[in-house]
Amino acid sequence: MSVVPAIESVPASSRWPWLAEFLAGEWRAWIFVGKSLLAIYLAAWLAMWLQLEQPSTTMITVSIVMHPHSGMVLAKSFYRAIGTLAGSLFGLALMSLFPQQRELFLLSLSLWVGLCAGGATLYRNFMSYGFVLAGYTAAIVTLPAINNPLDVFDSAVMRVSEVLLGILVAAVVSDLVWPERLRLLLRQNAQAQFNVFIDFVRESTAGNMPREQMEHANLALARAAVRLEDMRASVIFEDPEVHARSTRMRLLNQRYMAAATSFQSLHHLINRLQRGGSPSVADALIALYRPLGDALSPALAQQHQSVVLAARLDECVVQLPAQVAALRAPLSEPLAQLEFDTGAALLQRFVMELRDFATLEGSLREAQVRGSVEKVHFKRSNDIPGALVSVLRTFLTMGALSAFWLASGWPFGAGAMLLATVFSGLLAASPNPLSATTHTLLGYVAGMLGAFLVVYVLLPGSNDFAWLIGASAGFMLIGPYLSTRDTLPGVGPGYTLGFVNILALKNPMVYDPAHFLNDGVAQVAGLALAGTAFILLPSVIGSSWQRTRQFRRLREQAVLAATAPLEGLAWRFESLVRDLFQQVVTYTRPGSDESRSMLAWALAVLESGRTMIELRQQLAADSKIAPAVRDTATAAMHAIARLYQAPDAARWRKADAAVHAAIATAAEQPLRLPLYQLRSALRDDESPFATYIPPPSPESVHAA
Amino acid sequence: MPHEIAIYGVLVPSLLPVFILCLLLMVLLDMLVGRLGLYRQVWHPSLFRLALFVCLFGVAGLLLIH
Repeated sequence: MSVVPAIESVPASSRWPWLAEFLAGEWRAWIFVGKSLLAIYLAAWLAMWLQLEQPSTTMITVSIVMHPHSGMVLAKSFYRAIGTLAGSLFGLALMSLFPQQRELFLLSLSLWVGLCAGGATLYRNFMSYGFVLAGYTAAIVTLPAINNPLDVFDSAVMRVSEVLLGILVAAVVSDLVWPERLRLLLRQNAQAQFNVFIDFVRESTAGNMPREQMEHANLALARAAVRLEDMRASVIFEDPEVHARSTRMRLLNQRYMAAATSFQSLHHLINRLQRGGSPSVADALIALYRPLGDALSPALAQQHQSVVLAARLDECVVQLPAQVAALRAPLSEPLAQLEFDTGAALLQRFVMELRDFATLEGSLREAQVRGSVEKVHFKRSNDIPGALVSVLRTFLTMGALSAFWLASGWPFGAGAMLLATVFSGLLAASPNPLSATTHTLLGYVAGMLGAFLVVYVLLPGSNDFAWLIGASAGFMLIGPYLSTRDTLPGVGPGYTLGFVNILALKNPMVYDPAHFLNDGVAQVAGLALAGTAFILLPSVIGSSWQRTRQFRRLREQAVLAATAPLEGLAWRFESLVRDLFQQVVTYTRPGSDESRSMLAWALAVLESGRTMIELRQQLAADSKIAPAVRDTATAAMHAIARLYQAPDAARWRKADAAVHAAIATAAEQPLRLPLYQLRSALRDDESPFATYIPPPSPESVHAA
Repeated sequence: MPHEIAIYGVLVPSLLPVFILCLLLMVLLDMLVGRLGLYRQVWHPSLFRLALFVCLFGVAGLLLIH
């Protein structure tokens, strides 16, 4: 724990790169260990100094909240504070309602904890943690006072003070002492996202790109978008500058997704034209692409400077209409003109979106924030049935424990209930709760053994706080150190929790081995019961049942695009599809049939949905459109929505016919461009609809 | 001002509402300073923010007592 590793690593780096890497990793790990110990002992000391009843609650809070990144700690602390306040208020209300009826009290408490655990699975950032805490705090406030309802208010005040003190200490220590900034990571990620996207567009202006490459790129784009949003949600607590730019970063992410969708639609269109027998149109569109490629290729040093790129793209937007006219002139057939117009409109939209994206990115790098921007939200897609399963599972666990407690008169039932509450909530949102519980249980038992040694071998005879630190620090640091190892997820936090919990520092300290053992057995039993519940009612996260439903919801986003109110729909649609896509992809094996069909559907939904929104915006903007045109276009969109809802050959034929009719009715209006694009997406022989397309002419089937 | 105030019959130290007000004030200040990018001029922004908060809360607390 000194600067030695850093100094050593300088000469070593040239000869043994792995050693330098190892030392850098160790250095970070030990900084975290040092910060954790400092925060835990500082919190314990303050809690004793303020004469709080159970300094161990403060220490547990610190050990749960600590994380190597200070933004994470602050975000976690914020939601934990809210959860604690909500939970203790509910606990008080419950106790005042049922001071004498223990059955009713435990029943409502179980229901509350269950609901909180369900709420936790609906959110993917630390908001979920706030829910868990609301459930857990209601239990820790009321359970110790259950034999003495009159004490519950004092107990609540004590617990809340202890928890808030822990939060405060953890937040201050992690933010002030060698803070490891998430902001830097966010900047790197945002920068990388921008560079990768620009490079990708520049390299693909040659025109042709295999569908597979597009699918992979899109996957990476979806991941990047969701990851950036997750990070932003934590970094705003860490850094006031990011907080001031938060709206802008949201908008940037949305513009990025919009540009990516247009780009992908354009590419599919060009690919289809090349395969489908209109190479001259495809060539014209590729020629139209060239100015964009030129605009994106300034001198090498400036290739990723958003300000330079934005200016060049702006010029490109101005020049495009003239080039469109020049390239359109040689095309004489009406169909070819329609194809070209559709592609040209898409390209113009894409260049404008790219320009807006680059401009906004440039404005984010300035030191000062000027003006304000449109407020957008990254919508998440939540899985209600999955959450209901969590509610049921937690409710049953808590119900079973309470029933056992009531029937047996077990004096340590409260401890078991507490642990079961904590873990059924905390682990409900984890992708593999069973292995997480096992790991945590192992860590917990190890921590309890460590605490036993400390309390009964090292601690007796100690008489001041320094002695306490000396006796326990050696065992305490194992926990935070283990939690920096990625190979052992859950063991480190479990160890710290078990250690601190069973160490049970009190004011003043009590030594009672019988109580210690009983408490230990009760806590392990509670934790094991939470694990058993995960076996009996398995988590739906990542199950094929959930995947099938998510898959269906992904397709239903096309219905949303066709029917939902237009206000803010484009942003909502883009983020919902990305979020769903990312959720499903996380649990499918890359390269499997399932993952491939998933990708294909996601691309199809994005393309058709975006086009329908575009079409609806045009319909809404222009009130002079004839009612007949409006009706056929709306009917076409509804037919497509029905096709996405439950794809089969009959619905495909209906949708195809409806779009065809709409194009015929729209005649020469600009409306027919998105309609044509919809039709071309339906007839894409590499899309999931390929099986429904009747073979038109022999040469165009496998032309690609 | 009294050192404790009663909220629905519960005695609360009057420093608590002051603390919450200071937190809100701090959030506003943070927004302003963040927009202007002034934190880039300080060596340790989080230390500076904590110090600023302690100053705010200290002044408010002292004003309350006198």
